[in-house]
Amino acid sequence: MAVAAAAQTGFDFSSASRNAYLAERGVKLPNATSTGTTIVGCLFQDGIVLGADTRATAGPIVADKNCEKIHYVTESIRCCGAGTAADTEFVTALISSNMELHALSTGRKPRVVTAMTMLKQHLFRYQGHVGAALVLGGVDSTGAHLFTIHPHGSTDKLPYVTMGSGSLAAMAVFESKWQPNLSRQAAIDLVAEAIAAGIFNDLGSGSNIDVCVIAPEKTDMLRNYIMPNERVQKEKTYGFRRGTTAWTAEKIRSLIINEEVTQVGNEAMDTS
Amino acid sequence: MASADGGAYSFSLTTFSPSGKLVQIEHALAAVSAGTTSLGIKATNGIVIATEKKSSSILIDDSMLEKVAVICPNIGIVYSGMGPDFRILVAKARKSAQAYWKIYGEYPPTLVLTQEVATLMQEATQSGGVRPYGVSLLVAGWDATRGPMLYQVDPSGSFWAWKASAIGKNMVNAKTFLEKRYNDDIGLEDAIHTALLTLKEGFEGQMTEKTIEIGVVSVPTPAEGETGKVDTATARPKPTFRKLTEEEVRDYLAL
Amino acid sequence: MSIMEYNGGSVIAMVGKDCVAIASDLRLGNQALTVATNFEKIFPVTDRIYIGLPGLATDVTTLRERFRYRVNMYTIKESRTIEPSTFAHLVSSTLYERRFGPYFIEPIIAGLERNPATGELSPYIAGADLIGCLNFAKDFVVAGTASDKLFGVAEGLWEPGLEPEDLFETISQTLLNAVDRDAYSGWGAIVHVITKDKVISRTLKGRMD
Repeated sequence: MAVAAAAQTGFDFSSASRNAYLAERGVKLPNATSTGTTIVGCLFQDGIVLGADTRATAGPIVADKNCEKIHYVTESIRCCGAGTAADTEFVTALISSNMELHALSTGRKPRVVTAMTMLKQHLFRYQGHVGAALVLGGVDSTGAHLFTIHPHGSTDKLPYVTMGSGSLAAMAVFESKWQPNLSRQAAIDLVAEAIAAGIFNDLGSGSNIDVCVIAPEKTDMLRNYIMPNERVQKEKTYGFRRGTTAWTAEKIRSLIINEEVTQVGNEAMDTS
Repeated sequence: MASADGGAYSFSLTTFSPSGKLVQIEHALAAVSAGTTSLGIKATNGIVIATEKKSSSILIDDSMLEKVAVICPNIGIVYSGMGPDFRILVAKARKSAQAYWKIYGEYPPTLVLTQEVATLMQEATQSGGVRPYGVSLLVAGWDATRGPMLYQVDPSGSFWAWKASAIGKNMVNAKTFLEKRYNDDIGLEDAIHTALLTLKEGFEGQMTEKTIEIGVVSVPTPAEGETGKVDTATARPKPTFRKLTEEEVRDYLAL
Repeated sequence: MSIMEYNGGSVIAMVGKDCVAIASDLRLGNQALTVATNFEKIFPVTDRIYIGLPGLATDVTTLRERFRYRVNMYTIKESRTIEPSTFAHLVSSTLYERRFGPYFIEPIIAGLERNPATGELSPYIAGADLIGCLNFAKDFVVAGTASDKLFGVAEGLWEPGLEPEDLFETISQTLLNAVDRDAYSGWGAIVHVITKDKVISRTLKGRMD
């Protein structure tokens, strides 16, 4: 599969020189979507709770009001992403894919450290140009683990972590309220509070709170666990009267295939 | 140069014999026929693939042996012939399935994966310095477009879709048996029993959960089918192919 | 200057009731100089999928051909037509392949997705940034030099459950009013409304300044 192979082996740099030339002439690149983001994770008595806001930005514009930042790695390992949105999306997909291959060839459930190592090696190889800042959490045969991974490939292993532009607001909550052996609900509440701190105090974060609870027996993805910024129903409808817009040409492409049966002979076929 | 068991045209596999044969491919088929029997049956609501797992000595730890392999959540394969060759094909098929997933965000349909593997096997019949793969494969999978499908791939790289097929040592008898037993509205449970009965024909030794391996494709219910696509990173489709555990195999054998 | 402003242009897609619409302006510029007023940026992919490619015009043409090639290969290899969600992933991976030397295009995809189990068609729209980060929206997606304005107008005018003809008015007014405040977009517009049994394409009358 030539096409597949190209996509797998890495990046295509063939336009890089053209783009560098344009940049030299003072042409600015459009803003790639980034997730300003508040992402957090903490340990609790049974496992890990991860949390994220759902705002994606392109410069000062909110590009996506309800994006998903908690990415699937394996059934019991998930990864929150901050930074360049495309990078967090693709780097987690790549590692998820490699983890599945690893699981199939070893016949075991892969470990969190394995995902962490694959991610940091990938990010280190690209020297920070793959702009992904991650919170990786999961449960495996050796217990519950929580890591942060920085765009250059450095990692930390801590009981509670925050990342993204809202990390300070979120960490303030963790620092004052986190304690060991939290119950499941207490951990979910704490994570939600930390994300809320990011949503309401950091401009790069906003909209809803996503939570993911990873316990040894089961992972629960609580998408839009709290929606504190729902849009109110519009007071009026702002529809236009049909015919408002003046148009000069119309082309209609019918997707219905019309079939007409023409009887050629005069009489019906003799079926006796 | 000419010898009794192959002749002058058996050295370079890319050289046709005057009668139009590639003798090495026929030898590869002979290697398949020497392998343990495997079979697959397509039912109305799924597919079963099964094989006998025989080790040459009782001293071998057969827990390591794996003859039915998961390729991706919707596809599994079984083989007859040379184990080491199968291992290579499994690794390549899995990589191919993941490469497809990375481009399209979904796993390949059974036909596409089968084509991919068949192409690999064909390449080994037309390249210098290699030999054909000494395996035939049965590929079983489910996809939203074509539903459950069962394909057989041979060392030449040719493949067909089957309702039921058998490969390996006992394939002729097994196919005759399947022809007698098969009907178009067989259910998955019946198909699993038929598979075991077919394997029993000409089975040397005791059929146990240690000497039988079974893989099953189950068709998702309409409700499950509606969420058949990977729409988000978190809501993944339920796997449609799985290997039966030893306990499950034991239960089927007990019936 | 941003590279998006080199040739200018904007695209928007909206979801309606059992239908989707995608629209773009028709301007091709060389910075502030308008070169053509018939430069289409929206292309059919299948009967029920359209893709809009606002951005650098040379990349519009290149990417259009690349997607045409890859969709044709898919159709032949798999003997089935590609679904919008699958196509969106294809677009995304094609763009990310060039993460470090991107095409200056922010694609918008609009189509009707067939449910494999029931055969029903449901609206599907998606946007992507220039390196392939997908944005699945339930209401509308915008891109191009007028994207800031399009966001604002669409946020005010869009409402759920619009019938094809009403969706046509809403998307048309959104586009026309947004590009009127953008120097790099405008000079006429084209709208495609995709329904389950037909695609209606209309060329709009707009300001030519």
